[in-house]
Amino acid sequence: MALFSVSKTAFLLAFLSLRTYQSEVLSEPLPWAPESLKVSVNTTSQSLHLQWTVHNLAHHQEFRMVFQIEISRIKTSNVIWVENYTTTVKWNQVLHWSWESKLPLECAKHFIRMRSAVDAAKTPGPRVWSSWSSWEEADVQNSLGQDLLFVFPKDKLVEEGSNVTICYVSKSHQNNISCYLEGVRMQGEQLDPNVSVFNLNHVAFIRETGTNIYCKPGQGDGIKGTVLFVSKVLQEPKDFSCETQDLMTLNCTWDPGSDTGLLKQLSQSYTLFESFSGKKILCKHKSWCLWQVAPESQDMYNFTLTAENYLRKRSVHLLFHLTHRVHPMAPFNVLFKNVNATSATMTWKVHAIGKYYTLLCQVELYGEGKVTQHNVSVKVDGVHLFSGLEPDTEYLAQVRCANGDHFWKWSEWTHQNFTTVEAAPSEAPDVWRNVKIVQGRCVVTLFWKPLSKLQAHGKILFYNIVIEYLDRTSGSEVLSIPAPASGTELPLNQCSSQIRITASNSVGTSPASVLVVSREPGNEEVEEERVKGTEDGFPLSWNPQPRHVTGYLVEWCEQPRDPPCDLQWKNLGPNVTSTVVSSDAFRPGVRYNFRIYGISTERVPCLLARKTGYSQELAPSDNPQVVMTNLTSHSFTLSWKNYSTESQPSFIQGYHVYLKSKAGRCHSGSEKAVLSDDAVCCKYKIDNPEQKTFVVENLQPESFYEFLVTPYTSVGEGPHDAFAKVTTPDEYSPTLIRILLPTVFCILLIMITCYLKSQWMKEKCYPDIPDPYKSSVLSLIKSKENPHLTIMNIKDCVPDSIEVLNKQEGTRKSFTETESTKPTYLYLLPTEKRYSSPGPCICFENFTYNQAASDSASCGHVPAPPKAPPSQLGLLTSPENLLKALEKNYMNSLGEIPAGETSLNYVSQLASPMSGDMSNLPKNPPEPALCSEYKMQMAIPLGLASPPSSGSSSLSSITLLDEGERYH
Amino acid sequence: THLRAWDSWGLLACLCTVLWHLPAVPALNRTGDPGPGPSIQKTYDLTRYLEHQLRSLAGTYLNYLGPPFNEPDFNPPRLGAETLPRATVNLDVWRSLNDKLRLTQNYEAYSHLLCYLRGLNRQAATAELRRSLAHFCTSLQGLLGSIAGVMAALGYPLPQPLPGTEPTGAPGPAHSDFLRKMDDFWLLKELQTWLWRSAKDFNRLKKKMQPPAAAVTLHLEAHGF
Repeated sequence: MALFSVSKTAFLLAFLSLRTYQSEVLSEPLPWAPESLKVSVNTTSQSLHLQWTVHNLAHHQEFRMVFQIEISRIKTSNVIWVENYTTTVKWNQVLHWSWESKLPLECAKHFIRMRSAVDAAKTPGPRVWSSWSSWEEADVQNSLGQDLLFVFPKDKLVEEGSNVTICYVSKSHQNNISCYLEGVRMQGEQLDPNVSVFNLNHVAFIRETGTNIYCKPGQGDGIKGTVLFVSKVLQEPKDFSCETQDLMTLNCTWDPGSDTGLLKQLSQSYTLFESFSGKKILCKHKSWCLWQVAPESQDMYNFTLTAENYLRKRSVHLLFHLTHRVHPMAPFNVLFKNVNATSATMTWKVHAIGKYYTLLCQVELYGEGKVTQHNVSVKVDGVHLFSGLEPDTEYLAQVRCANGDHFWKWSEWTHQNFTTVEAAPSEAPDVWRNVKIVQGRCVVTLFWKPLSKLQAHGKILFYNIVIEYLDRTSGSEVLSIPAPASGTELPLNQCSSQIRITASNSVGTSPASVLVVSREPGNEEVEEERVKGTEDGFPLSWNPQPRHVTGYLVEWCEQPRDPPCDLQWKNLGPNVTSTVVSSDAFRPGVRYNFRIYGISTERVPCLLARKTGYSQELAPSDNPQVVMTNLTSHSFTLSWKNYSTESQPSFIQGYHVYLKSKAGRCHSGSEKAVLSDDAVCCKYKIDNPEQKTFVVENLQPESFYEFLVTPYTSVGEGPHDAFAKVTTPDEYSPTLIRILLPTVFCILLIMITCYLKSQWMKEKCYPDIPDPYKSSVLSLIKSKENPHLTIMNIKDCVPDSIEVLNKQEGTRKSFTETESTKPTYLYLLPTEKRYSSPGPCICFENFTYNQAASDSASCGHVPAPPKAPPSQLGLLTSPENLLKALEKNYMNSLGEIPAGETSLNYVSQLASPMSGDMSNLPKNPPEPALCSEYKMQMAIPLGLASPPSSGSSSLSSITLLDEGERYH
Repeated sequence: THLRAWDSWGLLACLCTVLWHLPAVPALNRTGDPGPGPSIQKTYDLTRYLEHQLRSLAGTYLNYLGPPFNEPDFNPPRLGAETLPRATVNLDVWRSLNDKLRLTQNYEAYSHLLCYLRGLNRQAATAELRRSLAHFCTSLQGLLGSIAGVMAALGYPLPQPLPGTEPTGAPGPAHSDFLRKMDDFWLLKELQTWLWRSAKDFNRLKKKMQPPAAAVTLHLEAHGF
């Protein structure tokens, strides 16, 4: 109990003393104010360094104190930073504090003051501060030097993406100073009249030599600048990994990322630290480092890789067991032993990794497009047997190894090639034949397919052919054909024979293929069936043979249009009754013929089926050449006998006959069809492809028709381009010909008869009228009286009031004497009559002048005046000129006529005055028209109209009017 | 501006000429005295070749420094590059130089410039640039040897480098990286001016040394350049 009382009293005393102490602190000024505050400037780091002490601390006394620091810029009132710095203060201790300025310290004055307080965070109540210290000034502008212009900070190193403040200080009181960043002018803010500040945000790396910033005054050539070194941000090393090949050396690798090297800063360095051993190495390379393993002393490793530059440090860690990071070296000395046709033994060596480790090796074999893989455990030497190989084949073998106990990574592959040796061919060659009879002898053409690589087991050197004649009397023949051949032609002594074919390489001979040839052609009369080809080929099927067959064979020509044919065949088993024949050589629109044989146990082929078809049917590209015959007015016949249905690009199902007519009506048996050019025509359909004639009937006579014959198939018709044209003849023309021909014949007969009997006919029908001149009566008169007797032809002359004065002196007397009996006849043509033929217009029949022409139907004409010369044509256009010309010419001509011999007085029926119609004289010169029609005669002055100038010119006429000036 | 104001002589002419003459350059000191004429001609040709070579090198290097140093009209004051030998000289002074002084100035200038250039090479960050600079330094070394050969042929002693004046690899104290870049700029520019001046110097020497008969031909040839 006493003990309890003592301790309680002590506690109370202690509490009271503490309260007393606290009350003293709160009531009095703090005795531990900061003193001896000194401010220094570090321009390299752009930081202010403060240094102070706290006096009045008792020896060994220790307090936790708070120092409040205020920093002002330019002037004391402009406080830019307030910070509470808490630390434990001891007796006689010098305290330090640093502050890094964003603004270069050269750009402005800074003022610093501080006050202190005991850190009373554990006790409630407001903090009691000491009084402020006096302002301390930090001004480096005074120590700048004599230059007039400065740019700060000098050669600062920052990371990419930082914000940097640049300033210039001018002492020349020039305000027009411009500053440039990499040649681009910057816009800043003025801090005071001589200082401007430029804030650069998120600066980027430009080059190793730094970013140039410079300022220059508007006048003068002073230029000041600084270089801002912007470093790329140091990245953490990626893919850090360590492994060993021999348990002696660890190779650690990593991806270093971007290089942070600058002119001012070296590239980042890498150090490797192992914590278990405490070893540390500086790596010489940027992406890898070698670490020597202490032999058998350490299994676990804990690595720290540290990348470091001036600004930053980055680390990555890796913890591993050494034997779990074994990456063996590639195997070596790979060899093959005991290589034969189907097997080979591979051996190899590996680099040892310690004494107790087993390697797992992986062996791969590439050959014939296949890969096989095997795993083999290896200590030092590896062995593996490859079996089941193909003869004469090149193989590639490769091997790699890894740590068998703790797999980490495979080594690199080591490759080696080898080739197996040859073996005898394993399969008989696939042989087929074609038998033909040439001049009574069987000629067999053998075809065989080259053995595949897997069957040949080496290079085939030659093919052996043994012919054994079945009648056993002719013996056998042996042939050897060098290897590249794929067939041969053999004339046989006898058709019935057995042919054995083998292939040989350098090692041996293949099994034999046996063919039996017989003279019987086989069942050639098998009906051909159609087969429809598909994209996959021709599906063929046949009936199974009741008798035993060893197999079936399908034969076809891949080039059926070409003479070589390119015979192909396909062997099929005895239980197969269908197959699909496919080939890349099959073309659309080509007809392929397939023959299916059954091969008997005696190796005798027997034709079972024939198939024909197209891999794809195409529409016919040509129409038949059509010949038209028997054309009548109602029908004609079309014929295309030469059209081959076999060689068309599809199966011909029939024909369409198109008939175009103007009438457009279609008769029974045809239907209307509209062609692609919208032409309407009649279509006749022929279902039988072998019916190659057609009679088009019910046509209209004398009509125009167009026709076209085109084949039709399952895939369409032929082209509709060339319609032939035909016109039906007249319906009656044959009848008429039948009537006309005999009629003409009869007439001709009659005419010939008449001609032959003309004299008789003449005498009977129209006997000769006796000529008075030639009559016997005339001769009697002549002899008695006047030889100038004539007979007047009355029919040509119309008497009119023309008066003819005949002044024939020589004959006047006789004329007068014969006036009563032989008057002179005067004719004038009736004016009403128009002559269409050049007949006489005015006819004088006076035998005095024209005795010779008296018996002619034509009479004498008025003599034509001579043509006016062309020079006178113009003059003739006026009546006076005409008259003059006429007068002149006629006077000339008249001058040759004996004056007074003959005169013609022409009296018009109208009795017009002679001068009154002078204006109606023709303006054109007289033309030698034989006939002019006129209805008015005009009086011609005497002497102008002239009789013929001589007796020989018996006929002449005068035309006075031209056609354009006719009077009507 | 001067760095880019190269004359229009093609690469081929210069290269061929120099390749023709380069093998003979080392022979200047060891063979018997063939007279200074051929050596001067070879030295002249070499200056023309180096002028061309510097053109591409300077373009690459100034791009490496970045703007404004690679800007065509950048012409900063020659501050901080005072230790570089100055090529520009008053025309009258240049004319009045005697042969010995003329050759000595050339020799001294290239000796200094070569040292600075090797310092430049050490700083270069890219391997390609270092190769180009090393190649140019070798060529400049050849020019220095060629000048020495001419001086020897004329019987002039080679200037001895004074102790303490040997440049230490950088032209003067560079206060900042910006000033160092400026020095690099001036080094290249001064080198170009020196090569241009040397061509004039050796052309003048060449004319002076040749006999009058051959002077006409050489004069014409000089016009060609």
